[in-house]
Amino acid sequence: MNSTIDHMVALTVFLAATLLFIGLFNSTIQTAVTYQRNKVTAHMASDLLDNVLLNPGVPINWGQNDIMPTGFGLQDPEFTQYKISPFSLMRLYSTTQTPVFYPKTGTEYSNITIGSNNFLLLSNNSALDYATVSQLLGVSRTYGFQLSFNPIVTVSITEDQSEDPLRVSIDVQGTGFPLVNAQVNYCFISVQPNGGESGHPAFINKYGTTTTDQKGLANLEFNEITDDKTSYALVVHANLNGLTGVGFHERVSSPEQYVIPFIDNLNEGRVLLAHSYDIHYFGPPVAEVKYNATFVLLAEDYTFRQIPIENSANHLTYGDGWPYNVINIPTTNPGILIITYQSIGQEVGVIMMPWGLSSLAFPLTFGGDPQSQEWVATDLRQILVGGIAYQAKIAVWNLEGYRVIS
Amino acid sequence: MMRTIEVLIVILIITGAFIAASTFAILPWPRQVSPMNLRRLSYTTLELLDSNHDLSRAAFETENYSIWSGIQVALSASLPANVVYNLTVFEIGISEGGTDLYSEMISISNSESLGATSDAFSYLTSSSNVTFNAVPEKIGELTGGGTLYILNCSDANGWWITGYTDQTLAEDLYSLLSPYYVNTVMIQNTAELAQILNGSSIQNEIVENAVIINTLGEAVPIPSGYYATEGSDNSYAKYCYILGQKTSQFNWTWASIVGYPLYYVSNTDLFSDQHNGWGIYGMQNVGAGGLNAFLQGLNSESYSYDGTWITGSPSNDPQLATVELTSEAIFYSNYYGIYPYTTQTATRALPVSILNRYNLEVTTYVFDQVGSYLPGSVYRHQSGSGIFLALGLTRTPDIRLTGLSLLSESKPRLYRADYSAYDTSRLVVLQIGLVGGV
Repeated sequence: MNSTIDHMVALTVFLAATLLFIGLFNSTIQTAVTYQRNKVTAHMASDLLDNVLLNPGVPINWGQNDIMPTGFGLQDPEFTQYKISPFSLMRLYSTTQTPVFYPKTGTEYSNITIGSNNFLLLSNNSALDYATVSQLLGVSRTYGFQLSFNPIVTVSITEDQSEDPLRVSIDVQGTGFPLVNAQVNYCFISVQPNGGESGHPAFINKYGTTTTDQKGLANLEFNEITDDKTSYALVVHANLNGLTGVGFHERVSSPEQYVIPFIDNLNEGRVLLAHSYDIHYFGPPVAEVKYNATFVLLAEDYTFRQIPIENSANHLTYGDGWPYNVINIPTTNPGILIITYQSIGQEVGVIMMPWGLSSLAFPLTFGGDPQSQEWVATDLRQILVGGIAYQAKIAVWNLEGYRVIS
Repeated sequence: MMRTIEVLIVILIITGAFIAASTFAILPWPRQVSPMNLRRLSYTTLELLDSNHDLSRAAFETENYSIWSGIQVALSASLPANVVYNLTVFEIGISEGGTDLYSEMISISNSESLGATSDAFSYLTSSSNVTFNAVPEKIGELTGGGTLYILNCSDANGWWITGYTDQTLAEDLYSLLSPYYVNTVMIQNTAELAQILNGSSIQNEIVENAVIINTLGEAVPIPSGYYATEGSDNSYAKYCYILGQKTSQFNWTWASIVGYPLYYVSNTDLFSDQHNGWGIYGMQNVGAGGLNAFLQGLNSESYSYDGTWITGSPSNDPQLATVELTSEAIFYSNYYGIYPYTTQTATRALPVSILNRYNLEVTTYVFDQVGSYLPGSVYRHQSGSGIFLALGLTRTPDIRLTGLSLLSESKPRLYRADYSAYDTSRLVVLQIGLVGGV
């Protein structure tokens, strides 16, 4: 009898101990396997980022066409290494802002808008969405990702004195340090109401150069601005040892009636110009706006060059029976479309649109949402987009789950 | 009781095993599991700094405080705030009397240590003051010969070299080809031509195995005296026969740069009152018999006048008579850095039939064969003595094709300059590390 009890106790204790140790070992193994899978995800992040940044895609010039690529890559086909096409980036569907619907074309537009007067609206017919790119990269069922492109150099422009003279301060900062003694080139455009033919607004360009101080600050003064209602735009390029950044600032007196540019056709550089009331009805009814457009690009010596546009001056009205206007960007090089406008009440303003994402150093976020994912691996590269320094960051997560034993 | 004790012992053993396994099986901390690729970040940062060659310039001006201050600012501004760095420039090579292959020139850093995780990338920069060139192998340096004669006769006129004079062509050829030959001699007049035809050197050069480029196009200079007398038969076709004989005798390479070879002879004194039928005085029309006679001489057969027109065109329509460089010629075009247009017009292409008729073999195809015509080729006589380059192209000549043809035939090697010479290259190493938590 004692022997039987001894056996029963021993067996019970043994089974309990075995189960306990199986659980303990399993926990350790499960953690190790999960770590291993996370490491694979991290490698995938690095590889995927290089894959995207170091090949131009198929065809190589898909960024400047409306065609659907058969291979995805963002490298500028005219360069090697980590030089990225500003036009390929422009075709990526931005996931951070709500798309804009334009009733007169019946099309939605991918939306990257910075501030209230700087638009990059690209037809959804041309934009590549996350699902398509995932399939092109071959990770649609295995990994999710998010790509973000942010300029390394931040150029902030602040108005210190509004008139007589206009004084602005420019603050040039890197990701962790101010850009000391950086060369600053600027393009200042002031709007002249009724200054052009048929009462269209005219504009006066002024170019200049200065340098930043020990705090990365520079000050500019414009004596020609004697009235705080004068509208202007200031575009600044700051450069130090290969680090180049862009900043911009506008002052408008017509915040509701303005012109909105929609990129309609990349092949032809066709841009539709719409009255703002066709998109955002501020009510009550208003009359037309007159505009005058020009195109500015940055030369290799970091100075600005103006390129004239055909049919650049016209007027726009909203509502049925009043179609949009069309202008064509006259170059395949990156630049800035600058449109000065005035309403019937002599209120004026300037809007800007980058032709190529980098021209105004617009940031871009593309892809899925990593917020709700269990484990997200990230990686980082320093890149040049159209000569502007950016950081390309990728976040990658596994779509196949992480639990080893459910 | 014994069984219970045994089980307890087993439990103790398993517990020991678990503790031992847990002690040795250390799981990596999160930064090791999902590391940022610091090596790539380092590389892309160096590329960014050198996008306008600022880093390369700074690497060779290590004592310029202003430049290095800018580099340090740019480096600090471009890297994320949790990244520390150390950038070091090394001179590569051993200086005179020195022993170290890598000598540290300057080092900048924003931290004393690089944290728990770091990686580095090295980037080679070259001095803007150094020109990297190539030294060509001299043709004939080891085999004897190596003389290039360029016919630049002031007392002869050219034909089908429209837009040029033989002097300008000769100068261009000299610039293009003289680095590849042991000696380059400009034949300044027909008297000097007679001298080499007699086997006498002009500047102590070796006459045998030489290359002779006739810059007069379809015309060939003829010396007065013996050669004019001996060669006067059949409108000087016999002179062309003598040239063929000499080419064979001295194992020359005779180069015709354009058009129908040896179609005219020229000597402004000898033919001062004659013109070639097109208003160019000092020139005698030989006709198609000149080429046939030359080939007879090259083939060491007895002279027999043959005035048959033998050249042809890929098409009767000159607009369609286009020919393409061969892949071999394009290869050597890249190798020697000579870039003529790859498509040319050929209306004086030699027929394939000359190969059997005159015992020739093609050693270099410059243009692809079209039908039964060879628009541009180098022919060697089967005896091994005498080479003939004929570019049967339509005027005007592109002397780059002549240069490319001769180099494709001889294939002299190019010795690239040594990149490891002291003070020409510097190595920039950027080591970056992450600070902060695990």
